[in-house]
This record gives sequence, structure tokens and C-alpha cells, in this order.
Amino acid sequence: MSKETIRLKLKVWRQEGPKVKGELKNYEVEISTHASFLEMLDVLNEDLIHKGERPVEFEHDCREGICGSCSLVVNGMAHGPQANTAVCQLHMRHFKDGETITIEPWRASAFPIVKDLVVDRSAFDRIISAGGFISVNTGSATDANSILIGKDLADHAFDYATCIGCGACVAACPNASASLFTGAKISQLALLPQGDPERKRRVQSMVNQMDVEGFGDCSNHGECEAVCPKGISISAIAMMRREYVKSYF
Amino acid sequence: MSINFKTVENSSRLDAKAPSGPLESKWKNHKKDVKLVSPANKRKHTIIVVGTGLAGASAAATLAELGYNVKALTIHDSPRRAHSIAAQGGINAAKNYQNDGDTIHRLFYDTIKGGDYRAREANVHRLAEESVNIIDQAVAQGVPFGREYGGVLSNRSFGGAQVSRTFYAKGQTGQQLLLGAYSAMMRMVDAGKIELLTRREMLDLVTVDGVARGVVARNLETGEIEKYAGSAVLLCTGGYGNVYYLSTNAKNSNVTAAWRAHKKGAFFGNPCYVQIHPTCIPQSGDYQSKLTLMSESLRNDGRVWVPKKEGDTRKPVQIPEDERDYFLERKYPSFGNLVPRDVASRNAKYACDEGRGVGATGKAVYLDFADSIKRLGQKTIEDRYGNLFEMYERITGDNPYETPMRIYPAVHYTMGGLWVDYNLMTTVPGCFALGEANFSDHGANRLGASALMQGLADGYFVIPYTLGDYIANNSLKPVSTDHDAFKASVVEQEERINKLLNINGNKTTLEFHRELGAVVWDNIGMSRTKEGLEEAIVKIRAIKEEFWTNLKLTGEKNTFNKYLEFAGRVADFIELAELMAMDAWHRNESCGGHFREEYQTPDGEALRNDDEFAYAAAWEFAGEGKEYTMHKENLVFENVKLSQRSYK
Amino acid sequence: MSNPANAKSKSGVTGIVRKLISGFTGIIWTIFAIGHLAGNLQLYKTDGTAFNQYGHFLESLGGLLILAEIFLVLFLGMHAISGIQVWLGKRKARPESYKLYQSAGSKSKQSLASRSMIVTGSVLLLFLVVHVLSFKFNIFKPADVITLANGAQARDLYKYVWEAFKNPVYAFGYTFVMALLGLHLRHGVWSALQSLGMMKPKFSPVIYSIGGIIAALVAVGFLSIPLYIYFS
Repeated sequence: MSKETIRLKLKVWRQEGPKVKGELKNYEVEISTHASFLEMLDVLNEDLIHKGERPVEFEHDCREGICGSCSLVVNGMAHGPQANTAVCQLHMRHFKDGETITIEPWRASAFPIVKDLVVDRSAFDRIISAGGFISVNTGSATDANSILIGKDLADHAFDYATCIGCGACVAACPNASASLFTGAKISQLALLPQGDPERKRRVQSMVNQMDVEGFGDCSNHGECEAVCPKGISISAIAMMRREYVKSYF
Repeated sequence: MSINFKTVENSSRLDAKAPSGPLESKWKNHKKDVKLVSPANKRKHTIIVVGTGLAGASAAATLAELGYNVKALTIHDSPRRAHSIAAQGGINAAKNYQNDGDTIHRLFYDTIKGGDYRAREANVHRLAEESVNIIDQAVAQGVPFGREYGGVLSNRSFGGAQVSRTFYAKGQTGQQLLLGAYSAMMRMVDAGKIELLTRREMLDLVTVDGVARGVVARNLETGEIEKYAGSAVLLCTGGYGNVYYLSTNAKNSNVTAAWRAHKKGAFFGNPCYVQIHPTCIPQSGDYQSKLTLMSESLRNDGRVWVPKKEGDTRKPVQIPEDERDYFLERKYPSFGNLVPRDVASRNAKYACDEGRGVGATGKAVYLDFADSIKRLGQKTIEDRYGNLFEMYERITGDNPYETPMRIYPAVHYTMGGLWVDYNLMTTVPGCFALGEANFSDHGANRLGASALMQGLADGYFVIPYTLGDYIANNSLKPVSTDHDAFKASVVEQEERINKLLNINGNKTTLEFHRELGAVVWDNIGMSRTKEGLEEAIVKIRAIKEEFWTNLKLTGEKNTFNKYLEFAGRVADFIELAELMAMDAWHRNESCGGHFREEYQTPDGEALRNDDEFAYAAAWEFAGEGKEYTMHKENLVFENVKLSQRSYK
Repeated sequence: MSNPANAKSKSGVTGIVRKLISGFTGIIWTIFAIGHLAGNLQLYKTDGTAFNQYGHFLESLGGLLILAEIFLVLFLGMHAISGIQVWLGKRKARPESYKLYQSAGSKSKQSLASRSMIVTGSVLLLFLVVHVLSFKFNIFKPADVITLANGAQARDLYKYVWEAFKNPVYAFGYTFVMALLGLHLRHGVWSALQSLGMMKPKFSPVIYSIGGIIAALVAVGFLSIPLYIYFS
């Protein structure tokens, strides 16, 4: 195992609060190539605290690519350059000594900036609460095997269900659209027989909520699929549109 | 060395309230006997649910469906971020869909035995009973479990069981179950029955006349200290694995809510019971912030070894066969690489302690797939473990098809937690603890695929009954947040935060946390000794002393300030660590996740002492600087025969 | 699904409806363009009879033609309005843009074509106005009248077009705009199908390729005509 370290120049978005103007600030950091991207920021922050400066605020939790907390635009790409990878699992070996890295928050008016690189993604929660569920009270379920679902169908629904709600799709979309997020949940529930009774109300309500939140329209750039840590296909968006049309007939 | 505490045998403060009667009918009878709250009255009660993981989200959703007003607090920006989301393997349920002889009793028995006979029989049996309902509920919510071509649900087998009873959704079972509970919860948010309070960290349990009536929480965006009053408080705040600094827990997982409740009178049960998972990706440097779990299934086809020679720095492929020590196969010929988690973990530690560890830090052992690839072909290995190999390569940069994986044990789950009775109520009336936050169901060791089961059983199927009984039996008068108890608490919390910010020393929160973690890992980790624990207590006290005089924090309190949050949590971890050491020190036996080197069989296995230690230790906080009191709840086993584990 | 906070969006038209409109009208116009191109290919003939007869046939449809034209204009308007709304919405959805932005590549279908729809669309709209004024209404220069084989009087559009494209401004202007049409269709064709919900993961790459081929054929077909005329 090599003990390589690299020196990096960072341009990090600093913003004191939601209504304050922010700017990119320059920093330097030295880091092992085995460290993760967020560990690199930890090291930077330790350094800043020791100097008496305010650390860079960024969102993180599980650091294994499943909680969806981390949300950094690295060199202009949501979650950075590695495909199917949340930025918490991006490692520094993908960067070169002396490289400059620009780090920005998710940018969308539906995701207002809280501080530095932290944004408010509660719009996603409101989209789910508008209909991203199956109305079944606890205790009223029938035996699990009384609903037969073929393996292929179950796997297909699972592919859409893997969404981690990170918001990279919105961040990367040139229009800041939340169609992949919304479409994935609609598609998961539309594919499963359990989701059938509410499918019409669900798609109308969720699509409407998506608009109310102020996300942009989808122009089919497909950028969302490219940055999605779970690689969710934009066929989810096509399915959402089919569901939407069908819901009026 | 002075480790002093009072002991109360057969404590009257610990009324487990387990119903009488035969084991199989305890829960049924209890459900029949609990008092009900009418719909019109439910509307009058506010229930505060802290934490929105499996336990919290399922409890919040279910209570709201029943008609209670729920206030749900989470430290995250969304309930869906809770660390339940990261559980990979699966969830057990005694459905017997495979017709392989599974029954509720077998699941009960496996769980009790797996917990090394340190759990309460009645609770575990209830868990096994409710396990089947969880699967039904989850499927109805649209959780996409793995299925067979014919459309029925698929099962896999998991450690510690002879039947296939584990339901799974690829390697993301926790995620899918949490999203199911989350969706149920968001439905109730939409219905106006749940007030969702994101980015709120509970800092104090507020009691009025000795009864839990609310919480005080910090708004993590504005820094404001807020007050929430209700008829009961449910702590669903997970485990305390992050006391070790490095663990598989998420960075924000913490003990603060449980610890603050503990200091308000909730006894802490069995804090020394910690589970260490043998197959994690090892630490690569000081900057390391967390450890990543790799599924245990890897041990089915991987062979664990270290070089025979100390300090051998050759590349693994250059080390000839006869210079390798396949220590698990050597010591445990019949189970080999498939010995239980604790045995595998301990032996890896021993190999590294002998100086035979591998990798840059010397804190790792090899998990080698070369033989399996030769025997089964790369394709088969890829089918079985492709995604895990990919994840390993993403993190380490090494290709496990070509060079052996490096693995090391890591803290993964904490069996200890707030002591609760059969109704999941802590020793503070009106304060309940659910899921990993309580101590109840796993004894000294948790079996795989049981954590999800417990969190959801508590939230969906237990608390709705037992909470109703509490509400119906106590005529709770409304309490306003203007009550003096709330005001005093707010002042106290504001002072504490100011204190943290004003120390202005030289060491950062992370430095303290790392230092604490190293002490806890070395001394209250995989294997423990009397001396080591005594040494740990001395060191922990010194860390505490230094923390409050030399902490350096920057930034302000009236804004988002993650390091301020961390500082408050580390302060609590330091206090917890001392209690863990004390608990481990007093328990002069080895059981489950608690291995005391002095107490082992000649074969090196955990040696229980059922005569003296078949009890749950519930620790009562008496006040700062005062002696702890340890209350014993004797565990009575009427339905299982206590036996020694052997994997030779 | 009853939360009062979930008020209807102000326009009453959701983003999906805008995309449905845009996709449907776009497909209609693509079909029209292909038909138009098929007719125009008669311009390659050295003899203008066939082309003029085709032109006369269309004009002789009378009310039917006017109806079709009304629909085309209507669809064009809807297409343009929805496109402009998407563009305006995008600025509202991200008021502060990234200091550094790049596509992550791999599965992304973002391209010059996809990002320039508003520009290519605007140019095409302007072009259409000029095009219709020139060749339908002969505003800038009157057309000669000839007698067809069946005795009917018709405009000699063949000669008109040939003369027009001998003018380098017209010839190269058209060529340029038709290249933009190709760009517009490169993203437009498959995007319309995706907007109409016709995509499945299996077919998606195929349809994306077919979209490219259609775009290329239409563009090359159209732009080759003025070039052919100018250089012959």
C-alpha cells in the first residue's frame, strides 16, 4: 500500500446563510490518496478550526453511499466524476497532485442553501407526502405471500426503489427538475400490484407537488441518470408521464 | 483504583411487568388485558417521537393512524436518512414459507441462545410472534423484497439459525424497510397527524412530577432551543457504537438523547454489550472517519489468513502456501471460516496483536478468494459477491479477484441501551425506548437479521398497545411548555452550549473523539481484562477533564454548526464510555459480545457464569460526581436450557 | 393527498402537460417536415413539371389545406410557447448558476443539441416566417404563372425556387438553418418520444440512435437542395 499524499487547491463555496451572498474561497489541503473525499474535507476543517476559522459545513452521515445526505457538486458534477458513486464513496486516488477542485452546493431554488454546502431538501419529503405511499394502516395487511409478484417485476420495482433521495438528479439537471426522483417513486409503486388502487391520485398529486415546489421542467437531457448514485434509469420519467396520461382516462 | 458503585439485588425499581402465564400466551393475554384509549381521547394526546429510523418511523406512523397527535423529531434533514437505511442483510421472520420446520418458538430459541442467555424470555418471544406481521405489513406497503420466479417471497439463511427465515431486498433491506416506514409516516404527515420536525436534536428529557412530559431540542438550523410538550416521549434514537469513534455507524449516530434521558432517571442497561462485526474494510490512515461493513456472507467462500512470520511485508501473492496461517481453519476445524462473529473477530485481533497483521497499519487480516475462484471460476464468485467486490475496490483501490481482501473487525451494533420493561417503558414513567436504543431483546449478542425485526416490531406492533395502556391508566393533565421544568431545562442547555463554545482550548472535537475511541476500542472492545478496564476508566476520566478545559470550537451557536453538534455528543460519549468500562469491569464472566480474557474455557471460548451473572445490569445515575447504583434484574429462564456454545 | 398545503400550481398546466404538448406537436411537425422533404426532392429533377404539379395539387386541396395549415400553425404556437415556458422555468428553478458545470458523461444525453433547443427553436421560428412569406406568399418577388398539363394555371414554383437558391444569401442561409434543424431534431425526436412516455429501458438506446438518424436524414435532405441548386 503506497503512502502517497497529494496537495490540492480547493475552491469551496462559502455562504453564511440562506439570504446572504456566497462566494468561492480558496484553500489548500494535503491528503492521502486513500482518503475519501469527505475525509479530505474533514482534514481541511480540522485545519480551519485550529486556525480559529469557521469550518466548511457540508452534509454527511453514513459515508457508505446509502443515506443520501452527502450533496456536493465536485468540479461541476453532482457527486463528482465517478459513475454510480455518491461523493462519500469517491476517493482521492481519482485526483492528481496539484489539481484544483471546485466544490459547490446543489443549486436549485427548491433546495435553498442553509449554509455553505448544506441545502434544504425538504421539498422531496413533501413530494413523497403528496402520494409516495400505499395507504395501508398497520395491522390491516394480508399474508405476505397472498400477493404474488413475479421475480422480474419485483426486481424492476426494486431498481426504482433504490433511490436514496440525495437530490443529485436535481443538482445536475440543467433545468433543476425533480422528475427522476418523483418518477422513480411513482414507477416503483405503479409496477407493484399493491400500488394499483391509488395510482391515479398518486401520480397527479405528486406531479402537482413537484411543480408547486418550484422545480424546473424536464427537457430529457438525461443528466440525472448519469449522476444518480444508484444509476436509476430515466425510463422512470417516461413511466411517470404514461401514468400521468393514463390517470385522466 | 477506585471503582465504586452501589448494588441493588433483585431491584424493586426494575419491575419487568412481564405477564404471567405460559410463554406462548403472555403477549396475547397482555394485548387482551391492556386498557384502550377511545378515538376521542387519542386526539387529546400528543406523543413525542424522537428519532425516525425503523423504530421511530414505524411508531410515529402507527400512532398517528390510531389518532394520536405525533410530533416526530429527527436530527437529519429528512426522516429517510436515519441509519436503519444502511442495514444490508435482511430481516428474520418465523413465516416457515420454506417448510423447513421454522416456528415462532425456534426463532425465539435461536434469539435467546444467540444472545447468550442474557435477554428476557417474554420480550424475545413477543418479538418472534410479531416477526411474521412485519413482513405482511412491509409487503403491503410496497417494499420490494426478493422473490422467486413463481412470485412468492424468497428467503436466505443467516448465521445462528438452521432454517431459512431471512427476507431480504438485495443488499439493501434496511433501506427498503425504512422507506416503507417512512412512506407510512409521510402519509400521516400529509394527513396532518404528524408534525415533522427535521433537524432537531433532543437535548433533554423534561419531567414533571417524575413523569416524562416533553423534550427540549436544539433547532440545528437556527440554533434555537425549542420546547415540546406531550403525554409521552418515545426515544427511538439508535445505538451508541460511535463511542468507538470508528464504527460502521453513520457519523451522526449518537447516544445523546438516550444519555440525557439516563441522566433524568432512565436506567442504562448492559452498556458493555457491544457487537463487533468481523468483516469490515480496515482503517487506512489517521484521517479515517468510519468503517464500512462487508457482508458476512463473504466468509462462505473466502479463507482468512495472516503470514506465519511476524512483520512479513511481502505482497500476499508472494507468500507461499506453507508460510501462511489459516488460523480459523487451524483452530476450529469443523466450522473453519464460518465461526460466529465474535469468535472470528477475536481471533483476527489476536493475530494482529502478535504482529502478524497485514496492510499499512498492521491492523488487518486477509480474506482470500483465490482458492474459490480456482474451484468455482471467477464467474460464480462474481455472481455471488460482484457488488461487494466492486464496493471494496471503490474504497480501497484493490481488486479482490487478483489480491486478497484486507478485513478487520469493527463495532457494528450495541445490544445495551436504556433499560425497559415489557411495555418498553424506561424507569422514567412516560418515557419509552424502542429499537436499538433499548436493551431488551438481544441479550449479550444479536443474531444477524434481527435488528430490523426488533425496530419494526417495537414500532408497529408493541408500542401502540403498551402506550395506550399507559395513557389509559394515567390521568395525565395537559402540561404547557411554559412550565418551570421546561424553562429550567432550556436555561441549562443554553448554558451548556455556551460553555462548550467558550472553552477556547487547543484540541478539536474530532481529536477528542479519536482519542476516546482508541481507549474504548483497546480496552472495551473485542476482548477485555480487569486491568485494561481499570486503565480505561483512568484514561476516560482524564479525557473528560481535558475535554471541558481544552476543547476548541469555532463558529456560532445561532446557526448551522455541525462541530458544535458533534461536541455535545462527544461529551456524552465520554461519560457513557466510563459507564461501559464499569459495566464490563463488574461483569466477571464472558458472554456474547462481552469477552473477558480471565473468563474463558480452555479452548478459548466465552465462559459464562450463570450462577452469578444471569441478570441484566441497569445503571442508575445519581448525579454528577456521585456513585452509580447498579440494579439487577434477575433473568429467569423457564423455557430454555442454558448451554455452552462450541464451534470446534 | 389532501393536505391544503398542496395547492394546485398556478398555471394549472403541469410540467408534464407542457412536455406532452411539446412532444406531440414536435412529432407532428417532424412528420410534416419529412413529407415536405419528400415533395421537395422533386427539385432535383431538371424538369420542373413534377414539382409544380405537386405544388398545384396541394393548393387545389383548398379548405383541407387551410385546415391543415391552421393546425400546423396552432401546433407550432403550442410547441413554441411550451418551449419558452420550459426555458423561463429553468431560470426560475436555478437563479444562481454553477461557477463550474460539466456533464458527467456516460449515460447522459446532454449535448450541444439538447442545450440549444431554445436557440435552434427560435431561429427555426424566425426562419419559418421568412420561408412562408417567400415561398408561399411570394412577398419579396412575384412568381411567374404557367399552365400545367391538365390546363390549370399554377405558379412556376420550380423556377422560383431555383432562382432563389442561385442567390448565395438564400442558399447558404437555408443550408445553415437546415443544419440547425438537424440539431433541433437530434434531441427533439427522441425527447418527444420520451416525453410521450414511449421509452422503455430496452428500447431507449435504439430509439436514441434512430432519433439521430432521422435528424441527420432530414437535415441532409433539406440542406442538400439549396447547395445542389447553387452549385449546379
